[in-house]
Amino acid sequence: MNSISFNNVSVRVPVDGSNAPKTLLQGISLDLTERRIGVIGANGSGKSTLLRLLNGLVEPSEGNVVVHGDDTVADVRRVRGNVGFVFTDPLSQLVMPTGREDVELSLRRSIKNSGKRAARAEIVLDRFGLLHLADQSIYELSGGERQLLALAAVLAVDPAVLVLDEPSTLLDLRNRELLRRTVAELDQQVIMSTHDLDLALDMDRVLVVESGRIVFDGGAADGVARYRALCAASLLSEPLGDVSR
Amino acid sequence: MRGHGFLIANYVRGNSIIHRTPLWLKFLVVAACGTASFLIVDWTVSLVVFAIMCGLFLLTGAGIRRLLRAIWMVTPILLVIGLFQWWQLGGPTAARIVLNVLVCVVAASVLTATTPVQALLDGVVALAKPFRRFGADPERFALTIAVMLRSIPFIAGTFSDVRDSARARGLERNPRALVLPVFITTVAYARQTGDALAARGLGEPERD
Repeated sequence: MNSISFNNVSVRVPVDGSNAPKTLLQGISLDLTERRIGVIGANGSGKSTLLRLLNGLVEPSEGNVVVHGDDTVADVRRVRGNVGFVFTDPLSQLVMPTGREDVELSLRRSIKNSGKRAARAEIVLDRFGLLHLADQSIYELSGGERQLLALAAVLAVDPAVLVLDEPSTLLDLRNRELLRRTVAELDQQVIMSTHDLDLALDMDRVLVVESGRIVFDGGAADGVARYRALCAASLLSEPLGDVSR
Repeated sequence: MRGHGFLIANYVRGNSIIHRTPLWLKFLVVAACGTASFLIVDWTVSLVVFAIMCGLFLLTGAGIRRLLRAIWMVTPILLVIGLFQWWQLGGPTAARIVLNVLVCVVAASVLTATTPVQALLDGVVALAKPFRRFGADPERFALTIAVMLRSIPFIAGTFSDVRDSARARGLERNPRALVLPVFITTVAYARQTGDALAARGLGEPERD
């Protein structure tokens, strides 16, 4: 039961002014059981769509996705309880003015008593070393602190699976390292898309996505090498424009 | 993003008499100020009520700077409304309308400056509970308030950013260069917020 299955999944979206829909993902079949799974690929390759399928933010046009026995369309509420999702930009997902309030917001459904909720929020913030920042405005936090806070708010409800969509894109080197260590220590199954190839090398399994298809599925080192080769090949076939002209 | 000014004051920790006032009473004062803004017809009465609300705000210990900031944030729009009303209906009516809006802003600030957001949301949930029998979800009411409180500073900050970008390109006098990017960014923000709430399972019905 504790696996994630993609069964011949395709995602297509309508395009303005065209009868033919655009294909974002095509014929994806996967069984994800590893603890750490990386998804790498170029911008627009379909990484985010693949991740969004995992908690029902995107519905398959064909096929289905099953997370720990629950279909992501039919059982979307249970799936969202099981799958935490962290976005690239933490500001787009932090809803409340301060960290404490945002973590408490996550807990509103599961803990009705406000005192118990506040106590649990303190524990969660303390675990991520954010307690001293709990009452600061989210705008006063650094990018790394915001990303950690977004992670804390998602993990407050203890999901079984954590999905991170390019979590290190907006972070400096120090905060990237901090995030890397934090993710490494988590008990959850982690599925993460990233452009940070060092981060991808930490994974147990890497998927390389290219034009809506999985073109590599295997070990991290081989996956990163494959992605580098794909990038090199695409640069050769499409030389960069000359900006000096 | 910068310049995320707050239209209403954030919670300020304290133990003032206003902090200790029951939430229902604070809600009642805000509702009364809202209702009064339709009923008061004399600008001098509006001025007295405004002075009382400012006094209540200062009693919270949140400080005059926070009060002035809350007022400052609505000044541009009140200026436009005031001038238009003056032209259309005369000075006393313009003063009454502007003062009544300020009364509502300060009353809301008194509430938010003395009530933690979670307590505010719990209060909204309690208030909305009677609507459950009609199929409403009280937690959704609370979430709506939370998203509203969050969105105001975001949109204010977006406006500051867009204004700076327009200045950098020498387009500060072009209203389209200000309004369109703010509009587009706000719509994108609304979509992102919707996705983020859905991903966290917030805003979904309580029962299956």
